[in-house]
Amino acid sequence: MKKYRTRKGDGSFIELNENELKAELEQGTSDAADRGKISPLSKEELQYLFELFTYPSKFISVEMGNEVILSYDAATLKVRRVGVSTHRIQSLQVYEKLLGADMLEFDHVDYSIKPVKPIITFEQPELEQALLVTTLPLYYGAQPNLGLYNQPDGPCPNPGELYAAGKISEAQDSQEKAVEYAVSDMVQVGSEMYESGADGINFDTTGAAGDTDFLATLKAVEILRKKFPDMCIEVGMAGEFILGMHGGLSYDDVRLAGLYPHKQIELAQKAGVSIFGPVCNTKTDRSIPWNSARAVTYIKECVKNSKIPIHANMGMGVGGLPMVDHPPTDVVSRASKAMVEITRLDGL
Amino acid sequence: MGVGDPPGMAIAHSTASGMGGMRTAGDLVARMQMSRGMRIKEAKEYVASKLGVSVIDLVDPVVMTEIRQDLNIGLTTPLPGYAKGMEAKFNIAKVLEIEINSVNKFKERTKR
Amino acid sequence: MGKEELFKQAMDAIISSDLKKAEEIAKKAIGEGIDPMELMSRGFRVGITRIGDLFERGEMFLPELIRSAEVMKSVSELIISALPEESREKSGVVLIGTVQGDIHDIGKILVASLLKANGFEVHDVGHDVSVETFIEKAQELNVDIIGSSALLTTTMKYQKDLEGELKRRDLRDRFKTMVGGAPVTQRWADRIGADAYGEDATDAVRRAFELLGKS
Repeated sequence: MKKYRTRKGDGSFIELNENELKAELEQGTSDAADRGKISPLSKEELQYLFELFTYPSKFISVEMGNEVILSYDAATLKVRRVGVSTHRIQSLQVYEKLLGADMLEFDHVDYSIKPVKPIITFEQPELEQALLVTTLPLYYGAQPNLGLYNQPDGPCPNPGELYAAGKISEAQDSQEKAVEYAVSDMVQVGSEMYESGADGINFDTTGAAGDTDFLATLKAVEILRKKFPDMCIEVGMAGEFILGMHGGLSYDDVRLAGLYPHKQIELAQKAGVSIFGPVCNTKTDRSIPWNSARAVTYIKECVKNSKIPIHANMGMGVGGLPMVDHPPTDVVSRASKAMVEITRLDGL
Repeated sequence: MGVGDPPGMAIAHSTASGMGGMRTAGDLVARMQMSRGMRIKEAKEYVASKLGVSVIDLVDPVVMTEIRQDLNIGLTTPLPGYAKGMEAKFNIAKVLEIEINSVNKFKERTKR
Repeated sequence: MGKEELFKQAMDAIISSDLKKAEEIAKKAIGEGIDPMELMSRGFRVGITRIGDLFERGEMFLPELIRSAEVMKSVSELIISALPEESREKSGVVLIGTVQGDIHDIGKILVASLLKANGFEVHDVGHDVSVETFIEKAQELNVDIIGSSALLTTTMKYQKDLEGELKRRDLRDRFKTMVGGAPVTQRWADRIGADAYGEDATDAVRRAFELLGKS
């Protein structure tokens, strides 16, 4: 039987025959459906994915007319990440003029809210200069990164150490305190950057520290939305479900731990989020067809359940893309097309 | 989205699925998502109607370069005497009939 | 009550973090002459593996996992004490930490909890741990496995440095090494010469048993 060349989630080449490829796609969508308690992809959608992964070209694209918005988190970091010596404003110009970005993001190298706070008056003038020379919409972006509020990096007793010592309620109390600190910082940074003229704020990789991280973000969004009704607030997630690091936190009477993208979006909308960025993590020991089918299943349900624009995260190790520094375009283009044309989302 | 490898990620996505940014009307459609919460279809239709083009023209760099010149809303390849950066955003706000935060801040800061 | 039913109850006691029930089952089983190790592997350990799986699916959360791990630890001690002196053996000794420059320790805490729950003696050296400290502590505590976690592409290099430094000091064959963390893959583990890669906490426990020939 003919073999088709594709890759694993770690980027390695693998070869699958027709039956194996179809099985990977079916298992990928079933895994998401089972975990998220959502519908799997239809036979037609699986056939579409099969054709996409067996198409002989190295690179493929969406049909004309199906294009979506491309937003770039941490844009000012990524040109320098590959060793090109640019100033942050030059990096934005590279994305605007050379890389086809539709939206931009200005960020600090640490990319976390807490370290930005003490240097905010250094950040603002540079953002203001960037706004003078760029034409694209420009966010200020940073991660809530609740871990930075724990000792030794922050004021709250380390919940990891407390859990390890069996002090569960103390660990939970500490996390709740961290939420308060984080909300205050997120509101301050978001407000100051909006006052500087940013088109909006992007709270990126939300949920990285679990349910505390997501709760802090929702609370901060709620406050910012009341303060600035016209501000664009994007929330990008860290993982496909909210890790229950506290386990008992709720927003609008909904327990946060364990929520999958189609449920996360409901709370994001209630809090006042303008654009939501769901995530599906790549399993590196499974094939890209398996990962892509799985990611598309989650995001399709999220798009269906949303009234606001959805910009799925399609970076390294998420959205069906491999976990490698230099992602091969054969699988990036396939995962990109699959995500856009099956889920009918609004951007990446 | 993204990773520190623009050819592998930014360029790949841009070529596979992106609207094209300033080469086309990507930034304008993005502004409608951001300012009015429009979904992609509605945002494209809105921008197309304001520019007086068809939806498919929004991703055509040939048509859009001309439109962007005509409306003076910013060009990938700058031309002398045309609006750039903040100036282009002033015109985008007018064409799309939206508020742009940085434009409003510019106006506030230059009031005497 | 049949043996199979007892195993099922042992599993349920761990899943519901019910220490009293777990101890009752252990005592009953030992009293009835059931092989304590069979009770462990087909009952209690199935429960803690299920807990790990539920956590990985977002159906169980860290406090429950910690409670269940504590119950598992207590019941393991009870079962070990029922074994003849010569068969009392730990699953293994593991040193675990997050590499230098990296403050992320959630994944590492999960792995440590599940390893402990599965009878390993675990020494958690925290986060931002230098290669030097990993090696010194591993020697001092005479561990079987050194587990390192890296959550950033920028800090993965220290896992490679650890392998290199172990070789340089002629200690590479003295320890088994395991790597994990969001950007880490089997391919990376193979490339740097680590003995195992754990995709998630449950997988890490499985791989630790395999490394020590106890799977």
